[in-house]
Amino acid sequence: MKQKSDQVEGKDDIILAGKGLCKGFPGVWEHLILDHIDIDVKAGEIHALLGENGAGKTVIANCLSGFYTLSEGQIYVKGKPVTLKSPRDGIRHGIGMVHQELALVKPFTVAQNIALGLPTSDLSFPLPEVENRVRQLSENYRLYIDPLARVEDLSAGEQQRAEIIKVLYHDPEILILDEPTSLISTDAEHLFEALNSMATMGYGILFITHKIEEALEIGDRVTILRLGKSMGTRETAKTDKTELVKLMFGEHTPVQLERKPVKSNNIVLDVKNLEALAADEEPALQGVSFSIREGEILGFAGISGNGQSELAEVITGMRRATKGQVIIHGKDYTNHAPREIIRAGVAHIPEKRRAMGVIEPMTAAENVVLKDIRVPPFSKGSFLNKSQITRHTKEIVSRFGALVSDLWKSQTRILSGGNIQRLILGRETWRMPRCLVAVYPTQGLDAKAIDHTWELFMRLREEGSSILLVSEDLDEIMALSDRIAVMSKGRIVGIFEGGEAKREQIGLMIATGASKA
Amino acid sequence: MNLAYLWGIFLGSLHAMVPITLTATGEVIGESAGLFNIGLEGIILLSAMTGALGAEAAGPSVGFLVGLGTGFAIGLIFGLVCTYFKGVQLIAGVGINLFSAGLVTFWLIHLGVPGHHAVAEESQMVNISTRYGDFSPMIFVAIALPVLIYILLFRTKLGLKIRAAGENPQAADVAGINIHLLRLLSTAAGASLAGLAGAYISVNWLGSVTKEISAGRGFIALATVVFSGLNPLLVLLGGFIFGFFDNLAVWVATMPAVQKVIPWQFVAMAPYAVTLLVVTGVIGRARFPAAMGIPYKRE
Repeated sequence: MKQKSDQVEGKDDIILAGKGLCKGFPGVWEHLILDHIDIDVKAGEIHALLGENGAGKTVIANCLSGFYTLSEGQIYVKGKPVTLKSPRDGIRHGIGMVHQELALVKPFTVAQNIALGLPTSDLSFPLPEVENRVRQLSENYRLYIDPLARVEDLSAGEQQRAEIIKVLYHDPEILILDEPTSLISTDAEHLFEALNSMATMGYGILFITHKIEEALEIGDRVTILRLGKSMGTRETAKTDKTELVKLMFGEHTPVQLERKPVKSNNIVLDVKNLEALAADEEPALQGVSFSIREGEILGFAGISGNGQSELAEVITGMRRATKGQVIIHGKDYTNHAPREIIRAGVAHIPEKRRAMGVIEPMTAAENVVLKDIRVPPFSKGSFLNKSQITRHTKEIVSRFGALVSDLWKSQTRILSGGNIQRLILGRETWRMPRCLVAVYPTQGLDAKAIDHTWELFMRLREEGSSILLVSEDLDEIMALSDRIAVMSKGRIVGIFEGGEAKREQIGLMIATGASKA
Repeated sequence: MNLAYLWGIFLGSLHAMVPITLTATGEVIGESAGLFNIGLEGIILLSAMTGALGAEAAGPSVGFLVGLGTGFAIGLIFGLVCTYFKGVQLIAGVGINLFSAGLVTFWLIHLGVPGHHAVAEESQMVNISTRYGDFSPMIFVAIALPVLIYILLFRTKLGLKIRAAGENPQAADVAGINIHLLRLLSTAAGASLAGLAGAYISVNWLGSVTKEISAGRGFIALATVVFSGLNPLLVLLGGFIFGFFDNLAVWVATMPAVQKVIPWQFVAMAPYAVTLLVVTGVIGRARFPAAMGIPYKRE
């Protein structure tokens, strides 16, 4: 209630407001995508919208810009209620949105992309005029871009500038940017400068991000979203990282990874002198040998491209070994078909989740049972048991917190990378596999999901699974591994006991590729 | 003598070019917007029928208008199915072909002589006679139209919008373009040109309707579109090449000297074989809109 009175005081400044915004996609259970969100943007401020993946940030932006329609709630522009049915309505009310997946036609030039959305006559050809105006806008906002450049020839940062110029061309008063720094991690300063100067000119800016530091740096105020609910709005000057973390993730303590020493001496995965070629026929593995015991995590550190991907592929049967052996539980599985290796109890979290982990045009339910489709209770004879599959998928989806709108209808293609990874983690680990080959398992996940994954791996370890973990994240390797192997140019250049592992020593070895002295 | 022969072949090729060029030019509009209509063959066939009836009822110009309207109507249905109702384009197109083949066959029986209906001489469009030979007025339309459509697609904002709808409908949507409506109208406009081609065949060029009067020209037009890489000016060239072989086949097949050696059916294969060769040569090199054939869904 206190917040309400604050809003009344600053009422004149508010150029865009949403009251009680609700959005529920068909078939979503557990919670609404947006659950009665209140948000407002004042002229001359940068309002950061902060939340982890799947919190609903993009959905809010799409609703405020007219791309999605609201299930409930009301949008106000300068205090007047408006209904936005399409992006065109948004543009008409002075709302411009820079989409995360940039809305540019790739084979067109920058100027052509802009001309597309102009209200001029269909038979006109406004290109020369557009080119001039783009040069002018470029200059004014210091967002330099060549109007005659073809979008597909531009770098990610340049494409984003083109997108912003495109939105500015319509003279918006409100600018919504959806995760603008996800494309241009190195060039963010430049963008921030431009945004700050725009705010000074009186624009209202809604800046969406999942990075707390960014929200604090760029925002005047910050609204925090968690699972479709607003956790409140703070002035960035009066808040700090600790409070924002708490609001974003709830009362959340970082995982305490406790481990007992590996008890067993049973070797689950034994790799002997393995050699294999990469896709370009160059040697990728040059005599790799190691073994993993029951209940042990062996972490492979190293810069990607040193043979880690090929190693995982050879073990899981997806790439031919030219020499050497892969022995699983005492039986030779070298160059066996993936299906036999799966049957031997090897689960695989592949490197390319969209290409190798799921079949994108298929639904979430189909992907979750992909590997278990032949066994009861998921199939009876030749027929699928749909109710069992639904029950099982629901369990995995809710246990891993994946956000899937409809198990049997939406294609997996439309899910975010993080949500796809949650489905894959669920599918690969629910049976408590004897052996898990996990390649970059937490890449692209938010902090909470990473913690979950780490806890899961530790639980699997307690249950006796052997895990081969490939990661570029040294923190992850250090936190999880019982032993750490460093790979360089297709060879293991050193294996450390987790306890003795010294960060600097490993880092140096990764960097130089030198063997352990 | 020789020169007159060659001129005759050229003139015949021009007439044979018309239906393919018209149809392919229309399909370029539709495919640029992202809709692939495999039902052109059926549209030509049905419009040849309706055009002929229209011409017999009220004169050749009305016949042409009826053909055009038939194409537009079928294009609208096809467009509705493939945009607002998110249907599969291939199936909708095949549906048009089957529907037309069935309806025309039935209609011909109904008219009296199964499989054939001759359009009365006075109902046919009159060719322009010059001392260089007789020219159908549609030849000039078929030459001018690709140029006009080229200007439309590449030199106007409407063209940008159409091509954006085929390339990245999401981006076009964000730019405030009504994707479904634009795609619907593009494909309907394209289909009406196929309808015009059908009416030309029955009311002007061949002067009759048979149940195979379209003779694969809808598919050859699709091949011409592939050949052109969605450039209407190349459609003109491609249309002439296919028209030339179409005409050459008839001409060679009817020469008594040839008829003795090679069965005419074999020579009649030429235009289709050439189509196959050209398409296999070109396909893979031409670039098509990224979103062609995919229904657009916003959420």
